[in-house]
Amino acid sequence: MTTIETPAAFQKPIIEARKVNKHFGAFHALKDVSATFHEGQVTAIVGPSGSGKSTFLRTLNRLEAHDSGEIVVDGIELNSDLKNLDAIRREVGMVFQSFNLFSHLTILRNVTLAPMRVRKMGRADAESKALNLLERVGLRNQADKYPVQLSGGQQQRVAIARALAMDPKVLLFDEPTSALDPEMVNEVLSVMRELAYSGITMLVVTHEMGFAREVADRIIFFDEGIMLEDATPEAFFSNPDHDRAKAFLSQVRHGY
Amino acid sequence: MNWTKQNPGLAMFAAMIGLLVFLWGLAVPLSAAPAPIGPAAGQFVEGTRVTVWLTLIAGSAGVMIGIVAGLGKLSRFWPLRWVCDTYVWLMRGTPLLLQILFVWLVAPTIMPEGIDLSDFACAAIALSLNVGAYNTECVRAGIMAVPNGQIEAAHALGLTSMQTFLDVILPQSMRVALPALANNLASLVKDSSLAYAISVVELTMVGYRVQSESYQPVPVFITIAAIYLILTTAFTTLTAALEARLNVGQKR
Ligand SMILES: Nc1ncnc2c1ncn2[C@@H]1O[C@H](COP(=O)(O)OP(=O)(O)OP(=O)(O)O)[C@@H](O)[C@H]1O
Ligand SMILES: [Mg+2]
Repeated sequence: MTTIETPAAFQKPIIEARKVNKHFGAFHALKDVSATFHEGQVTAIVGPSGSGKSTFLRTLNRLEAHDSGEIVVDGIELNSDLKNLDAIRREVGMVFQSFNLFSHLTILRNVTLAPMRVRKMGRADAESKALNLLERVGLRNQADKYPVQLSGGQQQRVAIARALAMDPKVLLFDEPTSALDPEMVNEVLSVMRELAYSGITMLVVTHEMGFAREVADRIIFFDEGIMLEDATPEAFFSNPDHDRAKAFLSQVRHGY
Repeated sequence: MNWTKQNPGLAMFAAMIGLLVFLWGLAVPLSAAPAPIGPAAGQFVEGTRVTVWLTLIAGSAGVMIGIVAGLGKLSRFWPLRWVCDTYVWLMRGTPLLLQILFVWLVAPTIMPEGIDLSDFACAAIALSLNVGAYNTECVRAGIMAVPNGQIEAAHALGLTSMQTFLDVILPQSMRVALPALANNLASLVKDSSLAYAISVVELTMVGYRVQSESYQPVPVFITIAAIYLILTTAFTTLTAALEARLNVGQKR
């Protein structure tokens, strides 16, 4: 495995995964996955379909429980202790492929719900914060609409604002642009690019190699449940260590 | 019903006011009617009130029961699941009339000393349990219809299981369950007539009494039918408006 130099800015670890394993029945979906993610780091997770990228991401906020190994987020161990889980989920935001906006709530209420319930923020504060975030993703004028009234790209930008409303230390993205029509991909990527430069820690599962190369500090390549490569974008895209990664890259390039 | 869909708030308000005005003002046209209706106007009004009360009480209790038992049926804890399954199986598999008689005969013997259940209370309990069982199935289907992604999103945002249930699962499942729940409520208006079997003086019982005193069944039963129709229409309008309320943000 290629080890990469950790720049001084990334000294503080925020997520540490040690020998994480996950099975679905007899299927071994994650095999001894270990990685440390540092504050402010933007990591792109790539790999073929079914390689365990989503599963790994989802173990980090326990949407999937790992069977063995250790996950520590911001100094708190992720285990069946509900107190720890609540504390971790407050610090870790997630953006899904299929947006998952609450369909019965307006855009504004989608963004204010968690701060009001989880952070016990007052309605007025939560709303002004939500409107600022919606402004940031360019959707302030859509605040009173319902999710179905928005395009996919708009919904995903709202989902990002909703995650940001909790002031997370880490944002997890699971293929945030894969469900979008091509003409909407860029509006979401540009919001994410802006976020990456703002210094928030991001883990992004993506098939957008251009984005990964341009924005990520680090590329992780998964294959059959194994974290096969962990490298800088330059190293990964120009000269990956494993044949599987080479094959994956050439396949992706042909796709363009 | 189109108007109801476009102005749900107004329609709900109108149906509620309509129901109240109807209950208050029913005596006026009835007492002006010729015999055998006119002289018995007071009884008709009283019977209508009892029917409405039975419906409202059993309807509300039935929704609560439906939510609790519907959740119970989806519980991971098998004894709870078993209890809820058995409850639904029993209530749906036996006649309502039998259930009303059963509660009326058995409840007094299991009640602690000093608590005296009225006939009305027995009827309300039996009707609540009955409609609750039908509601259970609707609520369960509603909860199952909530996409998993909605629940994952709530959890990922840090909402507790309780908050996720109250803020996301319940409102979304109600949207799915409401048409069926409304159906059950409309049936309840009519089913409450079976309370006459344990001598609760509701609308059907009044009709029965008045016609047996006057020997004029036809006008009496037409009056009763008209009152039931007005009641079911009011309840249907109310629930249709509520449905439109909850339907926001849904693809049409
Ligand atoms: N809930 C589940 N039950 C059973 N098997 C599952 C479950 N979730 C994932 N898997 C299996 O685990 C493997 C890894 O899935 P995962 O979703 O992590 O892949 P992925 O790398 O995200 O792929 P994609 O690019 O298609 O999203 C797949 O073979 C998948 O079928
Ligand atoms: Mg995936």
